[in-house]
Amino acid sequence: MSTIRQQLASPLQLVALASAGILLLPLGYVTAQALSADPAVWSRLWATRIPELLFNTVSLAASLAVITLVLGVSTAWLVTRVEFPGRRIWEGALVLPLAMPTYVLAYVYSYLLGFGGPVEHLWQLAVGPQARIFSPHSYWGATLVMALDTFPFVYLLSRSALLSMNVSFEEVARTSGVSRLSTLWRVTLPLMRPSIAAGVALVILYVVSDFGAVSLLRYQTLTYAVFQQMTGRSDNTAASILSLLLVVFALIFLITERWFRQRSRFYQTTGRYRAPQRQRYGWLGTLAVTGYLALIVGAAFILPASLLIQWSLSPEAQATVDSRFFGFVWNSAILAAGAATGGVLIGLPLAYLASRRPTMLNLSCLQAAYAGYVLPGPVAALAVLVLFTKLAPVFYGSVLILIVAYIIHFLPAGLQSLEPALQHMSPNLEEVSRTLGLGIRETWRRVTLPLIRNGFVVAWVLMFLQTMKELPATLLLRPVGFDTLAIRVWMEASEEYFQLAAPSALLIVLLSLPALALLVSKDWRAA
Amino acid sequence: MPFVRSLLKLRRTILSSLFVCFAVGIFVSSVSAAETLTIYSGRSERLIKPVLDVFTANTGIHLELLSSGTTELVNRLKAEGDRTSADLLITNDAGSLELARTAGLLHPLNMREIDRAIPPQFRAPDNAWVGLSGRFWIVVYNRTMVQPDQVTSLLDLADPKWKDKIAIPNSGSEYLQAGVSVILATYGQEKTRQFLQGLKTNADTQVYQKSSQIVEAVAKGQIPLGIVNHYYVYRHLATQPDAPLAVVMPDQQEGGMGAIMNVAGAGIVKSTKHLDSAKLLMEFLVAQAGQKLFADLNKEYPLHPGVKTDPALVERKNFRAALVPLTKLAELREPTLTLIEQVGLR
Repeated sequence: MSTIRQQLASPLQLVALASAGILLLPLGYVTAQALSADPAVWSRLWATRIPELLFNTVSLAASLAVITLVLGVSTAWLVTRVEFPGRRIWEGALVLPLAMPTYVLAYVYSYLLGFGGPVEHLWQLAVGPQARIFSPHSYWGATLVMALDTFPFVYLLSRSALLSMNVSFEEVARTSGVSRLSTLWRVTLPLMRPSIAAGVALVILYVVSDFGAVSLLRYQTLTYAVFQQMTGRSDNTAASILSLLLVVFALIFLITERWFRQRSRFYQTTGRYRAPQRQRYGWLGTLAVTGYLALIVGAAFILPASLLIQWSLSPEAQATVDSRFFGFVWNSAILAAGAATGGVLIGLPLAYLASRRPTMLNLSCLQAAYAGYVLPGPVAALAVLVLFTKLAPVFYGSVLILIVAYIIHFLPAGLQSLEPALQHMSPNLEEVSRTLGLGIRETWRRVTLPLIRNGFVVAWVLMFLQTMKELPATLLLRPVGFDTLAIRVWMEASEEYFQLAAPSALLIVLLSLPALALLVSKDWRAA
Repeated sequence: MPFVRSLLKLRRTILSSLFVCFAVGIFVSSVSAAETLTIYSGRSERLIKPVLDVFTANTGIHLELLSSGTTELVNRLKAEGDRTSADLLITNDAGSLELARTAGLLHPLNMREIDRAIPPQFRAPDNAWVGLSGRFWIVVYNRTMVQPDQVTSLLDLADPKWKDKIAIPNSGSEYLQAGVSVILATYGQEKTRQFLQGLKTNADTQVYQKSSQIVEAVAKGQIPLGIVNHYYVYRHLATQPDAPLAVVMPDQQEGGMGAIMNVAGAGIVKSTKHLDSAKLLMEFLVAQAGQKLFADLNKEYPLHPGVKTDPALVERKNFRAALVPLTKLAELREPTLTLIEQVGLR
């Protein structure tokens, strides 16, 4: 047992503590500001905005939980349990929507479904000239866009579960005379529950913290309201109050989710694993399956992507691709690289200490780093802003403040690949290296880092990708001359200049694709 | 996974080159800052960049533009204090400029060019901010859906018969706040509250982030009426002359308050290190050539008496403006925001 004093002596420990502090302080400041607000502001907000915002946020999250569950599980089941032509292609294509930021999908759909838009024209041809479809700027619009964008989370995890599941459970059920459907319902789905729950949890956190889609679709959620309060008022009191509510909401949700997951754990009971057999359908069934998958992938990726390409090729859009445009590309790259590098550098000591010396202190430092989960972009921006103006106003309006906000927001994504990488590496290897006479630093350089670099690279790429797409914190904190691709998309799209927004949007999607491939290849076969 | 492996090999090269680029990028931007003016602009980039580009072409002074919300930028200036890199603040609202002036963020100017070009009611007493272009808060309607005589006053729009028929800007927009301030100063607390309540009910979810979206929605017939700044309508008509749009200049009736006017304006930031260049830009913006750009490109009302308004617009002498002085918008901001929040406008 080492004493606290010894632990604190280690420089790595100090770095970890400092990082945890930097990550938690902003949250503390926002909470303090919200709690010290004039009760009159609280009661005014309760009387006017909060019920509507809470209702909107919760109902959106609830409907998305159901829809992504159905979409994700059904598609995962089809590509793992049914054999049909092109199965492997569909298996990969179902991940593509993840390359499409919500604000891009939202703006494409506000054109497609918009008043007098192409879908309405088709509908009017079919039904009659006065017929109207639902407005994309509504609960339904937001639900549709977010569902198409987030169901791959559920799909990916369900697919892994279906591939790694031992088929004997299902076979026992079948031989005992249970029908196919009933087996699915009573055996397969319950076994998948932890994976499905994790996927749906990802969806809900993503939806609750989304700013891009709800702002373009004018759907009032807590996150959007925080942004509006920050930009429209001269003090941040109301924004802090709404932020606090949002954080509490996300925390309650996270805790419940963990609790449910802990109660249901399933283990592989024997070593006799066999891959499940894929059923073959007749031509009608095959057609139906292909049609279903084509509809989903088409709506979520193919159609939006082709529209973006078409718009990008228009002369209006071509005119915007000038030296200024490449400046935006450059800014995006620099900011994302800075945030990813900073995130890995901060995340590494935290993850390392928690896996090598899992003391209470180290574990809580690591948990602190997951605070970003409950800090949506505008809230992270607000938190960093409040913190810096109080403690270090010198950095206000600098690149640093924006990068800190990114790191706080996206570190959880990075840690999720850093942590397993460290855990998979046996500490024995380091010990051997030490007994063979290498110093701590040499051991790190020659043993630890080479072994974890895979996780390191994936973490870096993930944070790079997320930062490049980030919108609200960038809007609020960007320094002069630091407009990014995401900002350009939002600025043009929010004034409905769809074509002018297209080149930036298309580039974001294209840049996301290789990162997505890397991410998926990591756990593709492992499944 | 050959892709992953090659990426791994490239890792060091990629990382180190990015680091170098990062360092160079920061270095370069700080070097070139010497011949550059930094502008915080609360106006949509589309409306101000063409004007600024002409200035750059004339003088060779490079302008770095940060476009964002007006209130957000004033907050930012306050927080940045003397360390700000901003040289000039441009906003879409006089109230925000006056608030920035009273917070001591702007530099008083003694320039004959300004005194001669812009009438005194459109600038601060010490010229710390100067109005550049005038705009009126008007009602735009779709001619196929509304008769011209159905609306004469903004206050009519609170009538239940317009339920689900009007589109309004969100409550964070400074010109909505300024508009409500004028109504508050004219009619008092209670009547204004009733008006906002009615507006909120009638607009329901038709609350927009951008005025251009409102005009677009009215033009398409998605919604019959909207409240916007006049020039969004005329800019739309300039590109699509056949759009079924028409404008009501509100509150012109006998004893009515007059149309609500606001100005977009600019002020030099107090801590600027490029005062001479910044003054040069101010001079350009108030001079006839600059004012003509606001009139021709943006369809705003130029404030320079010698510059002609775009012929498509209602001639300025043919209607009355509300009598609330622009500087008063600042002191009215707080009570206005309280009222807006009490009513719970989105």
